[in-house]
Amino acid sequence: MTDFITIAIPKGRILQESVALFKKIGIDCEELLSDTRKLVFENSEQKMRYMIVRATDVPTYVEYGCADLGIVGKDTLMEQDKDLYEPLDLKFGYCRLVVAEPAELSCTDDPSSWSNIRIATKYPNITEKYFAGKGVQVEIIKLYGSIELAPLVGLSERIVDLVSTGETLKQNGLVEVDTIAEITCRLIVNRASLKTRQKRISEIIGGLEKHF
Amino acid sequence: MPKGVTDFLPEKAARIGFIEEKIRRVFELWGFRRLITPLLEFEDVLAVSMGDELKEKTFRFDDRQTGKLLVIPPDITPQVARIVATRMHASPLPHRLYYNGRVLRHAEIQSGRSREIFQAGVELIGLDSPEADAEMVAMAVEVLKGLGFDDFKVDIGQVEFFRGIMAASGIEQAARGRLQEAIRKKDASAVGEILARVDASDATKEQISALPRLFGGREVLAEAGRVVANDRSRAALDNLSHVLDILDVYGVSDYLTIDLGEIRGLDYYTGITFEGFVSGFGEEVCGGGRYDNLTSKYGFPSPATGFAFNVLALLNALEKRPELEGGRGTDFLIFNVKEDRREALEIATSLRNRGFTAARDIIRRDFDSSLAYAKKMNILRLMVIGGNLCSDDEVYIVRVADNKGVAVKKTELPGMNF
Repeated sequence: MTDFITIAIPKGRILQESVALFKKIGIDCEELLSDTRKLVFENSEQKMRYMIVRATDVPTYVEYGCADLGIVGKDTLMEQDKDLYEPLDLKFGYCRLVVAEPAELSCTDDPSSWSNIRIATKYPNITEKYFAGKGVQVEIIKLYGSIELAPLVGLSERIVDLVSTGETLKQNGLVEVDTIAEITCRLIVNRASLKTRQKRISEIIGGLEKHF
Repeated sequence: MPKGVTDFLPEKAARIGFIEEKIRRVFELWGFRRLITPLLEFEDVLAVSMGDELKEKTFRFDDRQTGKLLVIPPDITPQVARIVATRMHASPLPHRLYYNGRVLRHAEIQSGRSREIFQAGVELIGLDSPEADAEMVAMAVEVLKGLGFDDFKVDIGQVEFFRGIMAASGIEQAARGRLQEAIRKKDASAVGEILARVDASDATKEQISALPRLFGGREVLAEAGRVVANDRSRAALDNLSHVLDILDVYGVSDYLTIDLGEIRGLDYYTGITFEGFVSGFGEEVCGGGRYDNLTSKYGFPSPATGFAFNVLALLNALEKRPELEGGRGTDFLIFNVKEDRREALEIATSLRNRGFTAARDIIRRDFDSSLAYAKKMNILRLMVIGGNLCSDDEVYIVRVADNKGVAVKKTELPGMNF
């Protein structure tokens, strides 16, 4: 039981890239891509176990030690700020966390004069911290999806959200005014796991590292 | 009930008692003496020896008697430092002190994590030698082994190694803070990005970028020795190497890992630091290190080292291993079927005198209900006096776990070990 290494991987696009990456270092987890409702997969030969979870839950499973390793976007890590090791930037899943506003507003807007602005976002903690660092008061409206809608219906003037191509922003008449962070996927490790299973985990980290 | 506090019912309380007893026994075997610290302190007094992070987690309120700000201590070490500096400074050194108590810390509102922490720890005050640090680690290993854990590690760091590199680097303060944060997370790519933007020599950058990967077995020391050039870091490596040599003599090397990028509690520790981790349990179960500047805050400069167990973390880690012993139940429930209670009381007394725990089932009920009660209360054996399960000169003893009964002559009871 405990000699298994458990990895938490989020559903969706990251899952495919993760499987491809692990394959490069000889860890076979193609089974995860099969069309099944199973959430836990085991490879008893390689003593590996995989859990498929929601991206925002990955840090929690790893923090509590239910998973030794996890793969998750830097945005989720920044938002949750948990006590974890993040030894590897996996370089895939690239996007940017930006402040955006309606194009017409941006014509006359001067970000340096912002004060007491209202922002809709999925990332209240990052937003709070970022604007506090600039000395700007913000009223944050936490949303769970379709953030681009907020300025269109007057819920907020601006949004903080992830963009990859910028197409969604454009279609909704929004433009980027500021970049908060560049985001990629990270390998995260539970602290106790790194200490008590140092050899195997170091091998995985070292193996993955060679592929960049 | 407020969030973050717990009622511990008898079964759990017994396990906590079992853990605390094991720890206390080891502390006493190593010659440590108990200190009992107060539950209230003046805020201004305790604050001088607490880091900012700890201060923010402290429960504070007004004292009706003095109008001053009071705190419920969030950690016992600052109290020990105060007591040693103000009350025990005239006695010969070193002081070997242990404590076993509860502290309170604010936790994030949503997390529901415990705000109450059961600490059991030691402080060894007045010694700056590596042997003192090794003693701490060896005791931690002894306790963890004694509790039945086999797969655990004590991870050792030395904060002076990191400080030496930073002090020699000439990097400005703000960037140092960001580096520190990235190193703490072993985020090698963030370290690389920050370094790309700071002004420092290539040698310095190489040393700093090595930090997130300087963990593992003893080979880490040699690796670290190759990259650092400054005296302070070298002295830290020598010190760590001394401590490890002594721990080798204690025979605990197999339980150790080394991590030179471990810089938690940097504003507090001054040398060796360590944390204990049990396989399969996500957080540390103990932690400590050298803190040479603490007692001087109360006017009594003295080197010191110490560590504490988080008893509830140990409890949770033990509960993941049900096969390990976690505190004994009561030895006997004395079930009397006769009218006269005299004999039942006499047998109970003689069992207690011999060191067995024995509870009387005073309620009148049938055998099956009494046995069910014993099972529920984690009592190991039910002793039936009178009735038709055995003859008059015998008692009937049932092992509650498997309902196996045996008749025993009353005359043989005093010699039995059960």
